Amino acid sequence: MDQRIYFVVGDVLVNVAIALLVALVSYWLVSTNWNMLFAMWLMMFVGMVLAMLFALPAGILFGAMEVMLPMKLSGMLSGMVVGMWAAMQPITLAQAIGAGGTTGLISIVLVWFLNTRIRGIQAMVKY
Amino acid sequence: MDLATQKKWDKAAPTFDLMAGKGAEERWEPFKRELFSTMQGNVLFLALGTGLDIPFFPTGQTIQAIDISPAMLEQARDRVANYDGEINVSVMDVHNLDFEDNSFDQIFTSCTFCSVPDPVNGLKSLKRVLKPGGELLMFEHTGSRYYPFKLMMDLMTLVSRRIGPDMNRPTVDNVRAAGFDITEVNHIFLDVVKTIRATKPVT
Repeated sequence: MDQRIYFVVGDVLVNVAIALLVALVSYWLVSTNWNMLFAMWLMMFVGMVLAMLFALPAGILFGAMEVMLPMKLSGMLSGMVVGMWAAMQPITLAQAIGAGGTTGLISIVLVWFLNTRIRGIQAMVKY
Repeated sequence: MDLATQKKWDKAAPTFDLMAGKGAEERWEPFKRELFSTMQGNVLFLALGTGLDIPFFPTGQTIQAIDISPAMLEQARDRVANYDGEINVSVMDVHNLDFEDNSFDQIFTSCTFCSVPDPVNGLKSLKRVLKPGGELLMFEHTGSRYYPFKLMMDLMTLVSRRIGPDMNRPTVDNVRAAGFDITEVNHIFLDVVKTIRATKPVT
């Protein structure tokens, strides 16, 4: 992960924001008469497309690949979780927001873990 | 000259700094400064674009810089003029470099080989103009071997290559395929953003 606070805060904000947006779209779109697997795959795809669109303005402020790839992961996972959940049982707006926000946080933390794993000791970059 | 590629980047030039000028450049600045700090001797920089990298160049160098897009180089004019050293700019296609064999001590690229249409032949062209034992130093974004990022980048490339770069290039493999000896690959973000150091074999 980047050690500069501007980018750390930016990473968290954009990932939670896109995950919340996708969660809200899933909440409004998916209902219990949908097939659970269809809802999951469709909302994963919708989440990835929405993330790609919103990554463009977010990227102007916070970076290119470092913004685009985690946002797409957040959008995809949020769509998967909330889309599947909303197809299984009626959920409240608060539940959708909670699940979306949590998914966004988990996604960026997963990316930070993976990044540290791949970069290894090279992460000790002098700023 | 590859006119299709030239037209694509001419079209991107007016908004290029807006899209790439703050977030990405600030994020990558420490890594680019570190890579460019090794500049010495007769240096070729490819592709200069709007000159966003120029503030990260060490001062006092004499650099030959090329780009396929005249519109990009027009945007770079003030940055070139403000550089504390000498940057000689020309419009040139990497596939048809107008330099003698074994001309340069070092060649630098910065987010270039995501966009060169024939990357292995482009790299072979760089190898021709690099002196034996000379260094190729690259700051590039490439594809990923990790899922789901690999899938995402393959899908994105279907769209992105129409207006700009490919997202899924195997640039490290391409450098090797062009006949360079790779000395270092430093991952900056996942296995996607990286610096690559390679040398032209002496024999």
